[in-house]
Amino acid sequence: MTGTLLAAFLALMVTGIPVAIAMAGASLIYILVTQSTPPMAIVHRMISGVDSFPLLAVPFFIFAGNLMNTAGITNRIYNFALGLVGWMKGGLGHVNIIGSVIFSGLSGTAIADAAGLGTIEIKAMRDHGYSKEFAVGVTAASATLGPIIPPSLPFVIYGMVANTSIGALFLAGIIPGLVMTGLMMVTVAYYAHKNNWGGDIKLEWTRVGKAVLELSIVVGFPLAVWAAARLGADAVVATLVAIVLLFLADWIFKFEAVLPIMTPVLLIGGMVSGIFTPTEAAVAASIWALFLGLVWYRTLNFRMFTKVSMETIETTAVVLFIVAAASIFGWLLTATRVTDMVTTWVLSFTDKPWVFLLLVNLLLLFVGCFLEPTAAILIAVPVLMPAVTQLGIDPVHFGLVVVLNLMIGLLHPPMGIVLFVLARVANLSLERTTMAILPWLVPLLASLVLLTYVPEISLWLPRQFYK
Amino acid sequence: MNDVAVKQPASAEPVLDAEGHFHIADAPIDLSPYLFEDWIALGLFWLLGLNVFYQFFTRYVLNDSAAWTEEIARYLLVAIVFVAISSATRRTRHIHVDFLYRLIPKPAGRAFSTAIDILRIAFFAVAVWLTYEMMGRMGYYMMTVIDLPVNIVYGFCLFGFAAATIRSVQVAIENWRQGFSLLERPEHAIEEIVTSSSVASPGTEAAR
Repeated sequence: MTGTLLAAFLALMVTGIPVAIAMAGASLIYILVTQSTPPMAIVHRMISGVDSFPLLAVPFFIFAGNLMNTAGITNRIYNFALGLVGWMKGGLGHVNIIGSVIFSGLSGTAIADAAGLGTIEIKAMRDHGYSKEFAVGVTAASATLGPIIPPSLPFVIYGMVANTSIGALFLAGIIPGLVMTGLMMVTVAYYAHKNNWGGDIKLEWTRVGKAVLELSIVVGFPLAVWAAARLGADAVVATLVAIVLLFLADWIFKFEAVLPIMTPVLLIGGMVSGIFTPTEAAVAASIWALFLGLVWYRTLNFRMFTKVSMETIETTAVVLFIVAAASIFGWLLTATRVTDMVTTWVLSFTDKPWVFLLLVNLLLLFVGCFLEPTAAILIAVPVLMPAVTQLGIDPVHFGLVVVLNLMIGLLHPPMGIVLFVLARVANLSLERTTMAILPWLVPLLASLVLLTYVPEISLWLPRQFYK
Repeated sequence: MNDVAVKQPASAEPVLDAEGHFHIADAPIDLSPYLFEDWIALGLFWLLGLNVFYQFFTRYVLNDSAAWTEEIARYLLVAIVFVAISSATRRTRHIHVDFLYRLIPKPAGRAFSTAIDILRIAFFAVAVWLTYEMMGRMGYYMMTVIDLPVNIVYGFCLFGFAAATIRSVQVAIENWRQGFSLLERPEHAIEEIVTSSSVASPGTEAAR
């Protein structure tokens, strides 16, 4: 009987019914067949699954991310990235990577992000004479960075499902994100050296200097506040003073992107220091981004604001519909002991964490080909979590492995969705797109192995803050 | 699934100009595809925004957060999500898996996707009925902090499921008329993702 639930779900999902309906529908079928609970429980559970204060973080994270994605702020971020790395050999390749680092995965839709930013990046690179293959490869690879570098929606979802601190997950993503950024920039440098490419903008030291200065301000801001707090100042007051100084400096020096890039810094800083809960941090980030768009830069008008709100609502509904359905489905999985059986089965197979992680990697790379990361997390993590706990794997480390896997899965030949999207964007055949992405799987899979088997890379930073 | 990242080149000019600056512009904003249920969800979303802003203000500025704001925020979120489920259904934006349709022959794909269209209608219709029944059970059960019946919230869910049922009937009819659904043509789905969130105007590609 317990098989009914899983079989119905898999059959429904594979035939292409929306994932949320597959979960709720399978639960309904199970309840109708077994008569174990009144069917009303389906809607009741679904509604109470969304009725939670922490989940309010989701729409506001997405809203802040969508505001960052409007052209007014996008131009600034790319101009900053150009100043910082555009002059290097293979400049736009580096800009592409830095752009992905800054944009992060806030908007909640990895596939649409790859299409949106990817189109701009690929066009810019084509204009400057890069081959389609190189443009597609670097765009695909850098798309995996967004959700690893905090703040990212997949981490928020994972944190809720796995009952793990979202702040710790965000911190855990920083060093791995930087390691991956480094590996990818080395790959770009290798191509640039091999093909003897030049930079894409003139090397002007004033512009480079300005970009480095802006970066130092962004990095220095939390350090300054932290130092002030250590010297006995009230953290909130110190932050407010620092923010006022920041706007004053921006007004005088006309910075390119200090304020937009500050969004994630404030968000993470606020959470890690304990001033904000994740929900409040998301609200604060939205207020910050709105203030920049409506008041400070005035690049956002009312119609655009409406459109951004509509898009936010849609993505929120899509993600939280799955959360709702997962709450009834997950409840039945636990009640019918399916989760227990999976755990026992997995543990009978192996009791070594490294074998388990290897198997999880293979499974998730496969799953990641077909599913948006948020949906995949909501399906897979609740089932895998008990085994993770029993094997003594740190849930924060596991979260990082899961998200990176799912992101690589998205672009993995032959079926990854991002592969199809970028093939269309660049107007390149699927075969040539596959060949273009293959070399980039080397740094990506190297990062995956490194992060899977050296947990310290991800865990060192959160351990400094969360004991 | 998300077309906020709709950006277009400011003109046919290169994205990156000769001085080394990026020039992209937001695509022209078209609010006409949004219908009745979208505007209801939008109204609720803006209420939610005001509500959490007020909570933020009371907590950090007045140091005394209002207790009702949290409960209202949760209920607004529920209402938004269930109303907007119908919008996402209308626009076929719910996350689904379509790889099967790349592997099976066309007639089988047609049969499967028609079955999916019918099952989707059935699911939402059953959800309407179950929500209605639950509301009957709840009667005048009140919210915790505010003196209002919980059924107001469930009413929005009922409306959302009802709208989703109607929209999925419309989608099914549309699919029947055109002879295929988005599932059977993954390339259409990708086309939609790309055109709704990109600078790729036909001119730029042909110009090369």
